[in-house]
Amino acid sequence: MALLYKDPNKISAYRDRRFPGTQEEYEHSLQTSTTVYIGNMSFYTTEEQLYELFSRAGEIKKIVMGLDKNTKTPCGFCFVMYYSREDTDDAVKHISGTILDDRPIRVDFDWGFQDGRQWGRGRSVKHRGGYGKLVQKELEEQRQVVDYGVGSLGSFQPPHMGHNYGRHAGGGGHSYGGSHRHGRGDYHRKRYRDGDDDRRRPDISKRNSENEPRRNSDHDSRQEKNPRFRERGDSDDEEDDRKRQK
Amino acid sequence: MSSWRSLILRIGEKSPEYSGVIDFKDHIDACFGAVRRELDHSEDDILTFLLQCSEQLPHKVPLYGTLIGLLNLENEDFVKKIVESTQKSLQDALDSGDCNRIRVLLRFLTVLMCSKVIQPSSLVVIFETLLSSAATIVDDEKGNPSWQARADFYITCVLSCLPWGGSELVEQIPEEVERVMVGIEAYLSIRRKVSDVGLSVFEEINKIDKLHVEQDFVEDLWSRIQDLSKNSWKLESVPRPHLLYEAQLVAGKSHDFGPIICQEQSDTPVELSRLNFGRQKHEAELKYPQRIRRLNIFSASKTEDIQPIDRFVVEEYLLDVLFYLNGCRKECAACMVGLPVPFRYEYLMAETIFSQLLLLPQPPFKPIYYTLVIIDLCKSLPGAFPAVVAGAVRALFDRISELDMECRTRLILWFSHHLSNFQFIWPWDEWAHVLELPKWAPQRVFVQEVLDREVRLSYWDKVKQSIESTPALEELLPPKGGPDFIYTSDDGDKTEYTLSKELNSMVKGRKTARDVIIWLEESVIPINGLDVTLRVVVQTLLDIGSKSFTHLITVLERYGQVIAKICPNEETQIMLISEVSSFWKNSAQTTAITIDRMMGYRLISNLAIVKWVFSPTNIDLFHTTDRLWEILRNALNKTYNRISDLRKEISNLKKSVVKAEKIAAMAKAELDGAEAKLMLVDGEPVVGENPVRMKRLKSNAERTKEDEVSTRESLESKEALFARALEENEALFLSLYKHFSTVLMERLHETFGEKTMDHPVGDSEAMAVDEDDTPAMEMDKENGNSKRNVGYTIGEKEQWCLSTLGYVKAFSRQYASEIWPHMDRLEEEVLTETIHPLFRKAVYSGLRLQVDQ
Repeated sequence: MALLYKDPNKISAYRDRRFPGTQEEYEHSLQTSTTVYIGNMSFYTTEEQLYELFSRAGEIKKIVMGLDKNTKTPCGFCFVMYYSREDTDDAVKHISGTILDDRPIRVDFDWGFQDGRQWGRGRSVKHRGGYGKLVQKELEEQRQVVDYGVGSLGSFQPPHMGHNYGRHAGGGGHSYGGSHRHGRGDYHRKRYRDGDDDRRRPDISKRNSENEPRRNSDHDSRQEKNPRFRERGDSDDEEDDRKRQK
Repeated sequence: MSSWRSLILRIGEKSPEYSGVIDFKDHIDACFGAVRRELDHSEDDILTFLLQCSEQLPHKVPLYGTLIGLLNLENEDFVKKIVESTQKSLQDALDSGDCNRIRVLLRFLTVLMCSKVIQPSSLVVIFETLLSSAATIVDDEKGNPSWQARADFYITCVLSCLPWGGSELVEQIPEEVERVMVGIEAYLSIRRKVSDVGLSVFEEINKIDKLHVEQDFVEDLWSRIQDLSKNSWKLESVPRPHLLYEAQLVAGKSHDFGPIICQEQSDTPVELSRLNFGRQKHEAELKYPQRIRRLNIFSASKTEDIQPIDRFVVEEYLLDVLFYLNGCRKECAACMVGLPVPFRYEYLMAETIFSQLLLLPQPPFKPIYYTLVIIDLCKSLPGAFPAVVAGAVRALFDRISELDMECRTRLILWFSHHLSNFQFIWPWDEWAHVLELPKWAPQRVFVQEVLDREVRLSYWDKVKQSIESTPALEELLPPKGGPDFIYTSDDGDKTEYTLSKELNSMVKGRKTARDVIIWLEESVIPINGLDVTLRVVVQTLLDIGSKSFTHLITVLERYGQVIAKICPNEETQIMLISEVSSFWKNSAQTTAITIDRMMGYRLISNLAIVKWVFSPTNIDLFHTTDRLWEILRNALNKTYNRISDLRKEISNLKKSVVKAEKIAAMAKAELDGAEAKLMLVDGEPVVGENPVRMKRLKSNAERTKEDEVSTRESLESKEALFARALEENEALFLSLYKHFSTVLMERLHETFGEKTMDHPVGDSEAMAVDEDDTPAMEMDKENGNSKRNVGYTIGEKEQWCLSTLGYVKAFSRQYASEIWPHMDRLEEEVLTETIHPLFRKAVYSGLRLQVDQ
């Protein structure tokens, strides 16, 4: 379905360097894979959040969090494995570009998780050979979708009014028209206000890949900043992480 | 210069190919020019692509029709091929019952008729073929009325062509059109009215069904078409670009359209028993589903003033775009907001999408797709769509107690997900009043479940922050906090605490499951008994696996055997589930996940889960939370997935067996041939002629034979597994319905007495409440607040019954295909004379089976 606007053979612009086979084998493995790669995640996103979101596309078999090589903490990517290809397709089609933990995540077919691939770049190692940039570009494109609004809407001339859920007094509902501006809960404005919230990592669109050091500084201070920081208690991360690999 | 390909693809769009301007004449001229130039070089490519576009972008089909009409003036042969190819596609689609294709191809043929590519009478011949097939299906003697869904579908297809070409048909061949219309009318008089029972989004289970009152979907479309006809076939929603070229097109040569044949109804049993009729009807409705069930959630004053027929056409456009452009976010949203109609339709669009999200038994796509579409439309039309979406949410919230249970769940999942994409912003203060409602009030449960799902998608503090304007709602937030491990300190039982510590250090010390089992058997169970052992083991292992989903899986993979050892039967598995539930009492999500995983590792059977869900303490929560239903849904879903996987594997293996047989037979034949040749050498077996080849052939024959045998063996073993799975399924549904029947029995009698569904006791009360409430609601609305159900007075027991019956219906409907094969046994063992009529009604309406009067 929907083949007209897409080249079904060109399933991913990105070629993972670690894939051992030929380009054809790579493409074949993407076309049959039941694993998705998820990028541009918040470092704080938990497996349970991923489970909640991704199980809406189908039954999940496994989740592997991408971990920072040095700190052994989540570093913004993961793999989700499904049981069926159909569900995998749906995850890529319907979740990519949507928001999880205030960030637009990217979901791609992956050729299959292998041990070792959960390690993200450390402080100095460049992350996944330029994948970051690709993600960046694609997500900027998604932004374009968001903004293409007014120009290409054909016969629609969006009415001059606020963007809200509000009900204005007396009307018992909402209608087209300017009076809406008095409503509550304006998406757009709130959105930027929320941007000031220091719990939130800066939005991707305001950042670019040169800002890597920022991530690290973020990491250092996140224990205080994130109310969700998991209480690891007496836990030894090494131990846990070794277990993850098994 | 843009390529012919992108010109065909983007025709009618505001795209760079057409300098960002929409003018149908310019578009057609430009596209026609490009295609004509390339026709000699790339005829085949153009043909294929043009047909693909006409089929997959049906909202643009009038433009393609006109384009083809113009090409017909240049190159009759090319267009002849288009017509022939369409004839073949239509026949294929009819043979395979591909509904979308049949409908869209008929529309395509209609616009080809408008452009003089085919004769109006050829089109009428197609209509009459469909009509006669429909009439045969619903005929008691010759046909099989249980397959009326197909007949209705054919008629709907014919009727829905008329907005695209009714006017042209009537102008040219009025008598023949009249004959079709008379035929349809005759069909309508012999078919049975289709009831929505079991499939309507709003339905109170204890109310009398409004049978035979409203129009069903075919009659509704018929009346819209009649109105259209009375209005001289004028409508606004269908562009007629062919009129711009009328003078030229008239010179085109019309092509013949070969006859089409409608599939014969395979089985036409003389007399169908009630159950067989129901079973076949179920099958038919699955194959030819009703495309949309309108929600009518917006009051007429709010919605756009659009003629009924235009509403129908816009719905068709939207549903086609949703279907064909799924997976292309950008194009899908752009097409939906840019339909070729001269009026606004945001409300209609929202209502159409919500009708799909809530479509029963299931929407064409997973609900998450509609979530995405709504998100994209909110972004595409930031000024208008969010407010319309909010209006839909309010309207659905106001009627939540009438909403089907399955729809409530879908709405909760959608709404929480939607909000998570928009900073969790919602005017919660509007709904603060739910706090005054009892804890079982559907509106209150809805808010609570939405908040729970929000927390799952995000985190507790974030969601708390989002309801800051209405802090009282915090009461409905799920508990904050993690696992409830009973051995965190040695305050409690010292022995158990010590045992837990010991087990913990064994796990940390990487002792094997075997070691642990030996330890348990030798030094724990004999002294402390099984109950204590079970508690210690489960609590400790859950604690070790409590950090994340992966930790849980790791522990279960490594120490699952330990659990299996101490929980070998249903009884102990139920204790295991209880232990999980108490350990994770603060997290519905983790409870559900843990139980699901344990079922995945076959540590718990689905029967144990069913039994646990229906244990006395849990029953009391049926009407106040989704917690248990989620666990039950997961168990059924997992069972269903297993059986579906087996079906797929078996069907693949069957193909492999055929293939392997063929290969083995070929190898054998080759070997035999070679051997025969050798024999011919004068009675003396000359071994040396080509021993290498012989050896190769022989080993090849052996190997392929082995392949064949092993494939067949794996098929047999899968089939054995499948047979077992079917038995398990039967046991599961029997158990499920028995439990439902048992828990409902007493409560239904207490609440509704012995009354049948025609006059349930609670009904009048509930209706009275609604009426009393209406004036108050109006007043509240004027204050900008919705407090419709403040006067909610349904008693706890009644609500418990309503909710539980709602789930009975929802499960029956969702798994109808799995339940039907076991229906005879269910009728015999569960749905006996003694069950309460409301329970029977819930099951039957879920299965779409007529209740005996």
